[in-house]
Amino acid sequence: MTTQAYYLPQSLDEALDLLAEHGPTLLVIAGGTIAMPLINEGISLPEQVMGLRRAGLNYVNRSNGTLQIGAAATLSQMLAQSHIPLLQQAAQNVGAWAIRNMGTAGGNLFAPPPAGDFAVALLALDARVKLAGQAGERVLPLGEFYTGFMTTALAPGELVAEIQAPIPTGQTVYVKHGRRHANTPAVVSLAAHVTLGGKKVKAARLALNAVGPHPMRATRAEQALVGSTLDEAAIAAAAAAAADECQPFTDAIASEWYRRRMVDVVVRRALAQVQRT
Amino acid sequence: MPSKILSFTLNGRPTEVIVKPMTTLQKLLREQLGLTAAKAGCKQGGCGSCTVLVNGEPMLSCLLPAEDVEGQEVTTLEGLAHDGQLHPLQETFFEKFAIQCGYCTPGMLMVSKALLDRNPQPSRAEIVQALTGNYCRCTGYEPIVQAVAEAARRMNGHEK
Repeated sequence: MTTQAYYLPQSLDEALDLLAEHGPTLLVIAGGTIAMPLINEGISLPEQVMGLRRAGLNYVNRSNGTLQIGAAATLSQMLAQSHIPLLQQAAQNVGAWAIRNMGTAGGNLFAPPPAGDFAVALLALDARVKLAGQAGERVLPLGEFYTGFMTTALAPGELVAEIQAPIPTGQTVYVKHGRRHANTPAVVSLAAHVTLGGKKVKAARLALNAVGPHPMRATRAEQALVGSTLDEAAIAAAAAAAADECQPFTDAIASEWYRRRMVDVVVRRALAQVQRT
Repeated sequence: MPSKILSFTLNGRPTEVIVKPMTTLQKLLREQLGLTAAKAGCKQGGCGSCTVLVNGEPMLSCLLPAEDVEGQEVTTLEGLAHDGQLHPLQETFFEKFAIQCGYCTPGMLMVSKALLDRNPQPSRAEIVQALTGNYCRCTGYEPIVQAVAEAARRMNGHEK
């Protein structure tokens, strides 16, 4: 069966109308970097497809300490903004130039692991996701958006319209380990947001990707850091906790065992980069 | 089946074609328009051999629904030479033996053109970074990197 229709809405409202009209037979794509390979292979055979490239969702605005990122803003746009360096680093770690020109911030939320190396940074920043439907909008923390492997809190008739990323007040670090230096799937990637108060860690958010069903926080590792001076013992405890609480898998890139070992290593590498006061 | 008329600029020429839903730009170029420089390598966005420029930006034609280029400017390798005169990148790829089987070459050239259009004097690291999405299984990359650097030199007015 071939695809019967391709829609290219010119606004979010038009996109939501099409979604309401055609419902579950409509596959929604933005940059196409996740869906098109499956369609080209014949693995995915959508009856109808809607592309979001022209729906007016490719904006990047800053207001009140928050970066508002249209769901269809490309990873190249994320690389070009300078308000949140962590998001530049994360975007740089996805694919290569042409992929970054196509792949979107919103699309990366739907990237099955080991992909999702941009979304992991949004999780470390405690970003929120604005979901739009014909009935209106709702805003969820990204941590609540993910519900399982390739499942999300998105209800029928809803689209991810915007990502709201608070501009971080503490230090941020991004570390990715892959089999190659560039354009590589992750063995594990990590984004951290650490806030020091005096010599002690006041707050820490550690997010890991490619070692679970979706980007996930390492909450026990965070707890091991808060109140510490980021001394060797605290870093070792956090690394051990993260390696213990992650849920790695085996694929063509790396084994479960290797991913778990590398979680310990990347947590140490990341925390070693945090500047002590 | 709701086919559509697509209007865009292809290698400087206004172009109008009828496309079926979800025809990729790659398929449109190769099968409908007979422009076979953009290769159908992996069709997964993984190899870079289908790279074309859309408004000067490298994109993978295998992942791009053709209808998304409505009103846009598309440049393929067929649009690189002008009046029988090769682009400096084409000359240096030839001279430096940056081509063996040639399959990756169209993608390499289009990305390199996009790089030099933005950054006329790229460092070696910038050339390597720009080409990370384009796989070559023959040359080991070194002659390709040298060819891009030499093309930049020539385009900046230096002699052969």
